[in-house]
Amino acid sequence: MKKHLWLLFLCLYSLPVFAGDANELFYALRTKVLSVKDYTADVKMKIDVTYMRIPELKGTLYFKSPDKLRLERHGGLSVFPKKNINLTLVNLIPAGQVMVLDMGYATRAGKKERILKVVPEDDQSNIVLSKIWVDEENMLALRTETTTRNDGTVIMDLEFGNYIPYALPDKVTILMDVKDYKLPKGMAMDYISENEVESKAKASKGTKGSIQITYLKYAVNTGLSDNIFKLKGRNEEEN
Amino acid sequence: MIQLLRIELYKIFKRPRTYISFGIMTAITFVIQLAMLTDGKTFIGFAMQGINEQFDIQGNILNGYLVTYIILQSLLVQIPLLVALVAGDSLTGEANLGTLRLLLTKPITRPKLVLIKFFSSFIYTVLLIIWLAIVALFFSLLLFGKGDMINLKSETFIMIMQNDVMWRYAAAFGYAVLAMTTIASLALLLSAFADNSIGPIISTMGIVVVLTILSNLQIPLFNHIKPYLFTTHTIGWKGFFDEPVPYAAIARSAMVLILYTLGFLVTTIFYFNRKDIKS
Repeated sequence: MKKHLWLLFLCLYSLPVFAGDANELFYALRTKVLSVKDYTADVKMKIDVTYMRIPELKGTLYFKSPDKLRLERHGGLSVFPKKNINLTLVNLIPAGQVMVLDMGYATRAGKKERILKVVPEDDQSNIVLSKIWVDEENMLALRTETTTRNDGTVIMDLEFGNYIPYALPDKVTILMDVKDYKLPKGMAMDYISENEVESKAKASKGTKGSIQITYLKYAVNTGLSDNIFKLKGRNEEEN
Repeated sequence: MIQLLRIELYKIFKRPRTYISFGIMTAITFVIQLAMLTDGKTFIGFAMQGINEQFDIQGNILNGYLVTYIILQSLLVQIPLLVALVAGDSLTGEANLGTLRLLLTKPITRPKLVLIKFFSSFIYTVLLIIWLAIVALFFSLLLFGKGDMINLKSETFIMIMQNDVMWRYAAAFGYAVLAMTTIASLALLLSAFADNSIGPIISTMGIVVVLTILSNLQIPLFNHIKPYLFTTHTIGWKGFFDEPVPYAAIARSAMVLILYTLGFLVTTIFYFNRKDIKS
C-alpha cells in the first residue's frame, strides 16, 4: 500500500500543472515579442555545421514581421537556414490558438526560469511542440526548444542586454538538426590532402549544427519597406 | 643561350598551330561562360541540391570567381593537349622538317638544345596560362560580377570572402604553370623518342587521360599508386580554394611535379644525347 502511495505521489508530481497564469504568461510573452514590427540590426553570424566552412559573416539584418528576413552583405552571400527554421524568435513561438502546459520552474546558470510547453492547435502548423524557458521578471524567452514537422528540433538560446524592453536579444545561438551533404565525387574531383583524410576519419557523423548571431545595434519599428526584402542578385530569385 | 631561346620562341610563335591553342582555349572558355550565362542557375541548382534542402543562400552565387573555377575544372584535360601540341612537336618538328641534323651541326651541345626546347615550351606554357587567366577570370568577372566564392567539394561546402579570392587565383595559376610544365616535359621526352609529331602529342594525351582516370577512380586497388601518379598532383591548384589551405599537401604535390619534370627532362637529355639522328 505504501508502495502504491509513492507511485501515486510520483505520478501526480510529474504531471504538468495546468496553471491558469501559464496561458497569460505565454500570451503576454508573445504579445511582447510581436510588438516588434520590424528592425534593422548590424550583426555578426557564425555558422558551425560539420560540412560547412564559412567565415564569420558581418552584415545588416532586416526583419519585418511576421517572417521577412534579409541579411545584406554589400555584394556578399548570406546563408540562412531554410525559411521554416527562421532566425527570429517570432517564428519559433507558435502562432494562433495554442494549448499551454506549465512545466514548473528550473534553474539554469543560477537563474530561475519558468518552463512552458506550447502545442499549436493548428494541425497544419510546422511547429508540433515548443518548449519555452521564460524569465518572468523581464518577460523574456531565454530558451526555446521547438519540434518542427519537417525540420527536426531547433533549440534557440537567447542572451539579452540593451534591448530588453523590445525582447530583442544581443546574442542568439540556434542549434538545429542538419542532414549530411554529398556531391558525386566525379563532379567535385576533389584534391584531398592527407590532413583532410585524417580529419574526415575523426569527424563524428554529427547531425547538429549551430548558428550564432551577435546583434551589435538595433533600429526598431522604423517602418521598413517591403522593397528591402525583394531579392536582388543573379541567383537570388530562385532561392 | 638567350639568342637560341629567342630563335626557338620565334619558331614557336611563327607557327599557326601555336595560335590555334590560344584560340581553342578562348573558344572553350567563352562557350562555358555562355552556358553559365544562359543555364548556370540550373547547373548551380543541381550542384547545390544538398545545401538548398537545408539552407537558403542569397546573393550572386554564380559570380565571376565561381565561373572561373568551373572553367579551370572543365579545362583539366584540354590544357595538357594544348601544351602537348607545342612541346610534343619541339624535337620531332625539327626532325620532320629535316632541320634537326643541320641544327646539330652547329656548335651547340645536345643537352643545351634539349634545355632550350624545354625552356621555350615552358615560356609557351606560361603565356598560355596567363591567357587563360585573362579570358577566364577577367571576362568572367566582367560578365558575372564579383561576390563571395563558393567551392563545392564532395563532402564540404566552402565559402570564401570576395576579398580573399584573388591571391588564391594567383597561386592557383602559378601552380597550373608548374603542373603544365610537367606535361610539357613529358611531351618533350616522348618527342625525343619519336620521329613524327603526331605520336608524342597523342601519346602524351593518352598517358594524361589514362592516369587522370586512375587518379580519380575510387577503387581501393589504385589507392596505393595514386600518390605516385603526377596526375593526382596536377589538380593541387584546387587546394588554394580549400579552407584552411592545405599548404603542406600542396607543397608535397608541387615537389612531386618538380621531381617528375626533372626526371622527364634528365631522361630526355640522356636519351637524346645518345640518339642516332637520321633526319
